[in-house]
Amino acid sequence: MITNLIRRGIQALFVIFAMTLIVFVGVNVIGNPVDILINPDLNQAERLRVMQNLGLDQPLWRQYLSFLAGLAEGDFGDSFVYGRPALGVILERLPATLELALAAMVIAIVVGLPLGLYAGLYPDRLSSKLIMTGSILGFSLPTFWVGLMFILLFAVQLGWLPSNGRGETAGAWSFLTGDGLRHLILPALNLALFKTSLILRLTRAGVQEVIAQDFVKFARAKGLLERRVVLVHILKNLMIPVVTIIGLEFGSLIAFSVVTESIFGWPGMGKLIIDSINLLDRPVIVAYLMMMVVLFVTLNFVIDICYTLLDPRVRLDGKG
Amino acid sequence: MTRRGFHASVLALVAATATPAFAQDAELSIGMAAPITSLDPHEDSNSPNNATSRHIWDSLINRGGSAENKPQLAESWEVVDDTHWRFHLREGVTFHDGSAFDADDVVASLIRARDKESQAFASYTRNISEVIAEDPLTVVVETAVPDPMILNSLSRIRIISSDYAEADVAEFENGPAAVGTGPFKLVSYTPGDRVELERNEDYFDGASEWSKVTLRLVPDNGGRLASLLAGDLDLIENLPAEGVARVESSNGMKVIRGQSTRLVYLGMDVSRDESPFVTAKDGSALGSNPLKDARVRKALLMAMNREAIVDRVMQKNGTVADQYVAEGFFGHSDEVEHVAYDPEGAKALLAEAGYPDGFALTIHGPSGRYVNDSEVVQAAGQMLTRIGIDTKVEVLPWSVYSNNYSNGEYSLFLGSWGVNTGEVSNPALAVVAGRDADKGTGRYNGGGIDVPEINDLLDQATASLDEAEREPLLQEVSKLTFEDTWLLPMHYENVVMGARTGIEFKPRGDKYTLAYEVKSAE
Repeated sequence: MITNLIRRGIQALFVIFAMTLIVFVGVNVIGNPVDILINPDLNQAERLRVMQNLGLDQPLWRQYLSFLAGLAEGDFGDSFVYGRPALGVILERLPATLELALAAMVIAIVVGLPLGLYAGLYPDRLSSKLIMTGSILGFSLPTFWVGLMFILLFAVQLGWLPSNGRGETAGAWSFLTGDGLRHLILPALNLALFKTSLILRLTRAGVQEVIAQDFVKFARAKGLLERRVVLVHILKNLMIPVVTIIGLEFGSLIAFSVVTESIFGWPGMGKLIIDSINLLDRPVIVAYLMMMVVLFVTLNFVIDICYTLLDPRVRLDGKG
Repeated sequence: MTRRGFHASVLALVAATATPAFAQDAELSIGMAAPITSLDPHEDSNSPNNATSRHIWDSLINRGGSAENKPQLAESWEVVDDTHWRFHLREGVTFHDGSAFDADDVVASLIRARDKESQAFASYTRNISEVIAEDPLTVVVETAVPDPMILNSLSRIRIISSDYAEADVAEFENGPAAVGTGPFKLVSYTPGDRVELERNEDYFDGASEWSKVTLRLVPDNGGRLASLLAGDLDLIENLPAEGVARVESSNGMKVIRGQSTRLVYLGMDVSRDESPFVTAKDGSALGSNPLKDARVRKALLMAMNREAIVDRVMQKNGTVADQYVAEGFFGHSDEVEHVAYDPEGAKALLAEAGYPDGFALTIHGPSGRYVNDSEVVQAAGQMLTRIGIDTKVEVLPWSVYSNNYSNGEYSLFLGSWGVNTGEVSNPALAVVAGRDADKGTGRYNGGGIDVPEINDLLDQATASLDEAEREPLLQEVSKLTFEDTWLLPMHYENVVMGARTGIEFKPRGDKYTLAYEVKSAE
């Protein structure tokens, strides 16, 4: 367990290192941050001063070395655009993204898992077929379109929910206030739609695979209560792929919910990273991607731990 | 008092207080189209930042909607000599924290803006060599060279309290340093989401009618439009073209239009003897650069059906341009004639210039930077093809494009300049004056234009403080630029906003949406 943790930590470091190199080279290939950032009215001498202040007058390898030196002291550098520490710029948007991702994931699990179970257990019922058809819609309708339809229907036509923004927050969180909750509903539903369908279909497929296996037949033959058969024998055995997907999808909800955040004006990190890429704000891009590498490595690790809990045959030391 | 009389007096009381009470509680939500990057008024100079900071802070000079200079914190001013200006400050003004405003605040603010590491305001502060407080209500600004644009420059620089001259960006964004003399006080700022403001009851120019103002940052076009339709926002910037009909047909909504000072033009490579993207029709070298010939340039302009571009491509969100600035702005020349759409005439001119069969070229443009920019470039390309110039269209993201076009890598390219001073020297110095690193001119002169007469006129105009002397010089610059078609003027972008019908706002040339200038229609 511990060695595994250390091994993963070292792997993550390598990934981060490679990624910083790619971003440094990549940003400079796209264009020159100076031309984007600097007020066009400045003359050449003034431009030079700004470049010196940002460190952009140095050759790329030296910029990279000074970035690494700063990193060793926990300093990700100041954002070119916001003039503040890049990490701070990202972290102040983290709560918004986290609560949106969590809300969407909770909806996806709470709705998707039971419906998937139901559709898998009773595949021939009309209601199951309706659920499966619905999930195809959830899969295939583009998020931005559904988001706009949500806004048109619930905000513009019916006027039930606000169309845009985050509403009132208590501290950094908006789900603690009524107004904040009202703002959270539409974007969370919008984000959850695809994930719900995914979990639903995975669960159903899992159920149909597991239900035909000998141990389920045996459990039933033993006369166990149907509830116990479903919740323990079936559910637990189909959870491994579902947990994998939940974990990875949660990561992608945090990292890439750009479309939903833009449509609903949700001030999260997804919007920030797109803006930063357009403005070539390298410190923010690097810090953000580093955070994401750490996030995905951590999520994968948590998923692995879940495996061992779900299936005792799985060992983390690689010998199992 | 009889019962009836009591009722009557209560009614009278209610009637007397109802309307003002309602007005006093009026709240306003504005949907801004571009996010702000900082609340520190000296950190970054872009339109959303500068518009937002005007709510909280004042400047010495108040810039009107047509770029006119009006008194704000400076009540009056006078020219002492070529390099000294004396400003008499308004008496009795206080900051939001209650401290009094005086000359020290002006000195601290101007120096802070000048010396800030980001150098965002350098184009306004570069000539300020010293700021001297003569007494608490008198300030003298010394410029390194005679600077006719100093009033405009000072209208750009917000006056902060000298207590916070050393404050960093974070102290402004979290609130403690965000203390100004302006019409609104900062309540809270959530990056990427909103700025909440409340009325400054003691504003020297009279308190705003809005007790609470929320500036929502909604860069997404669909989201902004939906919020207006849903009634969450009262006024939105940049109403997307596809939303105009929807808003016009909605009950209780209206479209507000105005003209901005942003000029969109096509620049041409007029310096090289062979231009990289101009070839013969079979792709072989042409052996000459047709764009150096004024007749060819004029033919290109005659080929452009600019009325159609403005009407169809821009969905009426633009006005056809003939020169740097529209009528009424400083330096507009009446002698520049409108070049009408005339494809036959254009072909004849091409033949006269020695290209009866035309040639081939590539037109470059950015995508997503200006209103419908890539569509404008495509339309221009088709119109050129119609007069026999085989035109390829290439559109690039701004982050790639901006560097290339300003460095003269293209033959024909879309450019734009927001004339934020509202007069001709600003665009002319940047895009038409010969490139000179020492003087700082021609930084965005991607076509390599270098006309000695224009350069001389601009030199004179930037050295003179006498408006009466400057005006004919700049008019001559306009005339020379467009008589020889050194640029192809396309259109001025229009300001198109959506609002609920109860809102009155006159769009400003600089596109700022200022809550203080928004009125409710009674």
